[in-house]
Amino acid sequence: MNVKKFFNPRNILILFGVGIALVIPLIFKAGQYTMLLMTTVLLYAILASAWNIIGGMAGQLDLAAAAYLGLGAFTTGTLLIRWNITPWVGMIIGGLVATLLAMLIGFPLFGFKVKELWYALSSSALVVVMQSLFMMWNEVGGPTEKYLPVGTSPWYSLRFNDYMPYYYIMLIILVVVLLVNRWIRYSKLGYSLLALGEDEDAVEVLGVNSQSSKLKALAIYSFICGVVGGIFASIYGYVHPAFFDTSMSMEIAILGIVGGMGFIYGPALAAIVMVSFREVLRASLGSQLAGLYLAVYAIILIVVALYQPRGIAPLVERGIKKAQTYFVELTRGRRADIKSS
Amino acid sequence: MFETATQGIITGILMGAIYALIALGLSIVFGIMNVTNFAHGDFVMLSMYLSFAVGSALAWDAVATPLITAPLMFLFGIITYYLLIDRTLRQMYVVQLAVTVGLQILMRSAALIIWQAQPRALQYSFIQGNIQIGDFQILTSRLFSAVVSLIFIAGMAYFMNKTWAGRAMRAASDDLGAASLMGVNYHKTYALTFAIGSSITALAGGLVMSFQQTDPVGGIRFGLLSWAVLALAGLGSLPGLIVAGIIVGVVESLTVSFFDPRSRLLGVYAIFILVLWLRPRGLFGRR
Amino acid sequence: MDAEPILKVADVTKKFGNLVAVNRASLEVNRGEIVGLIGPNGAGKTTLFNAISGLYRPEEGTVFFKGMNITNWLPHKICKLGMSRTFQVTRAFTHMTVEDTVRVGAYNRFNEKNVQDKVDQVIKVCELVDIRKRVCEDLGLASLRKVELARALATEPEMLLLDEAGAGLNATELATFMDLIKKLNQESQITFCVVEHVMQMVMGLCQRIVVLDSGEIIAAGTPNEISNNARVIEAYLGKRAVHARNQ
Ligand SMILES: Nc1ncnc2c1ncn2[C@@H]1O[C@H](COP(=O)(O)OP(=O)(O)O)[C@@H](O)[C@H]1O
Ligand SMILES: [Mg+2]
Repeated sequence: MNVKKFFNPRNILILFGVGIALVIPLIFKAGQYTMLLMTTVLLYAILASAWNIIGGMAGQLDLAAAAYLGLGAFTTGTLLIRWNITPWVGMIIGGLVATLLAMLIGFPLFGFKVKELWYALSSSALVVVMQSLFMMWNEVGGPTEKYLPVGTSPWYSLRFNDYMPYYYIMLIILVVVLLVNRWIRYSKLGYSLLALGEDEDAVEVLGVNSQSSKLKALAIYSFICGVVGGIFASIYGYVHPAFFDTSMSMEIAILGIVGGMGFIYGPALAAIVMVSFREVLRASLGSQLAGLYLAVYAIILIVVALYQPRGIAPLVERGIKKAQTYFVELTRGRRADIKSS
Repeated sequence: MFETATQGIITGILMGAIYALIALGLSIVFGIMNVTNFAHGDFVMLSMYLSFAVGSALAWDAVATPLITAPLMFLFGIITYYLLIDRTLRQMYVVQLAVTVGLQILMRSAALIIWQAQPRALQYSFIQGNIQIGDFQILTSRLFSAVVSLIFIAGMAYFMNKTWAGRAMRAASDDLGAASLMGVNYHKTYALTFAIGSSITALAGGLVMSFQQTDPVGGIRFGLLSWAVLALAGLGSLPGLIVAGIIVGVVESLTVSFFDPRSRLLGVYAIFILVLWLRPRGLFGRR
Repeated sequence: MDAEPILKVADVTKKFGNLVAVNRASLEVNRGEIVGLIGPNGAGKTTLFNAISGLYRPEEGTVFFKGMNITNWLPHKICKLGMSRTFQVTRAFTHMTVEDTVRVGAYNRFNEKNVQDKVDQVIKVCELVDIRKRVCEDLGLASLRKVELARALATEPEMLLLDEAGAGLNATELATFMDLIKKLNQESQITFCVVEHVMQMVMGLCQRIVVLDSGEIIAAGTPNEISNNARVIEAYLGKRAVHARNQ
């Protein structure tokens, strides 16, 4: 591999980010609250990156992230509570159950060409439906929390006393999800999704089966949400129908939009910036006035959406490009220096 | 069994008329401006709080509060339009979603800051009590609200078809470009449209406040209900809106009385999703 | 050459509510031909194209392509079989680059390994090399029309439907475009059916012309026969003549 080519501004940034993410827990070792916070940030980053596949690339405004997340959580939790099946297996099954639900909904929905606003609304409705169903299903859900047993081995039951292991698990998943994003983006599926997000008829006459492309995107997205739901349940130590949260689903979509539709790292970046910011606000303003931090957060969301409608990723891209030209000039200049001496 | 059903249907019809009124504001904004306001339910929530504030400050009955809250919501609509909505009109529609969801979060947290988390309600209305017809009971306040809703929707139909402002609004909806060519300044027309949609929620909020309480997240339910009504009705048909509102109200009420109060919205969503699948233009829609 | 026509449209009817946009239209296109489909605005040309390419389901009639009955097939299946098209109002993938747009079409017959070669080839043929990295929303109409042709071409079609591909182009752009189509027809043996308003293009390009008026096919023949056909002059050229006189 060409060493000089590898150390371009983009890769340096990526390495820098991953490095920071790896060492941060060691710095904050004492602060459990901070660890939980950062794990939450990663959770949002994963969900927003998964959303990028169905929302950013395929242009389907999905608002059901929490429906799949909650389903994954309940599947994992119930398997552990009832049959003592380890969440490592449970979260995979949870992902599959979430995918199954997504396919049951998505097949007719895409088949009948429900899209844009109406797709958004029906997916949003799905979250509410799931919440009502699990509220009524007392064996599994119901209005009181169902606690996950701690068991003998924390690695078997995925129940730790501190948040550090969760943080690293989430970090690994985030990296995997970003790689999956990258892989899809530069494959046949990615090009088809980007194109059908812009014009479905035009892409159909080019030989793309838009329904099956959208279903694939939905399947991958819902699977990731379901898997993460399993860890979500483990982190909180219980399952509850409140996991089916409409606001959270909408927030995921907004982070995807604000990050930059279709840019691989955009949604994750937006999640890291915005959710950290929200939590810092909550920590500093929350004690004074309930709701104030959310108001400030909302105003910032609105301002970003209005003044940077293509998202923050294009801004970053521009910065990287500038750095790149600067970099090239720098190395060239150095070479010139050597020659002249 | 039969009695429960009939009682459920009566309650549902009355609620349905109010849902139609709530959806009317959304229908006008969505139908004419093609703006998808995800915060619509929260406009109703805000209206209910304003109604609470006015009602408790002046010791007015809830149903009288729209006299003051409607102009306030009109103003709120104008401000929201120029500050936010106007800037999203020529953007991708996802930007509109992001902005209106941001607005939704903002309104909820504002309500939380001003009125705190506990539910707020007004004193019982002067139209309290029941009307007894045979074995069935009708809450007078609901009957009153339903009748006012229907009258208002009829008046709106007249306004849209017979007055200059209404025609200008519809012209603007037919073709944004053509309308501004014909001398209709679409910014002003749109601001007016949005403000009217917003002040309709003030009326609805006052009516609902006569028999219900409000809390900061109360908007979710009204938002989703209005979209369900709109999906069912399609665009452009006001009688369709009433029928759709009543269908939604009855389905909701029957699910509650026969199934489980917690499943309140399940039946509504069942029809909502079925309609999306089978009749994407709604049952009565022209477009 | 096959004796069997590559495309056979038999008695196709498409209605929008009460409006009969295409009324029992029949036409045949032979392999290797360039056939022009002309007719006044609102005659139903685009609707007929939509019915052939699978975007609309015709109420009546059948469409045969390469001997197969493709009526009611989904558009992507029809494309797989070897037919693609362009749109009258250009429908670019606004935020994608020219190269990526072409790639979407190229995946129709190529996989990850060899798709890039196809993309490069098509971009060269359509003379898009200079703008291959540009985003479609920054392009002018002439380039957009070429990009639409290129992405359809990348699917390796045996037949292409072009819906007013010359509309809005100036004389030089039009000449380049016509040369390209002729070249594709001769060198790649692609069959064309073109809807065109620009008479220069129809007469210079097409071996046969079919005339549609109010949803019905009123004439078919060589350019010469058509320009002398009384019904056509009345329905189509006549209107233009009247229009020209009024100006
Ligand atoms: N989607 C549609 N819905 C309703 N009417 C349509 C639609 N598309 C076309 N039409 C009508 O069908 C007729 C034929 O239109 P079109 O095929 O576009 O004509 P052309 O392409 O020959 O100009 C016109 O009267 C047009 O108004
Ligand atoms: Mg046409």
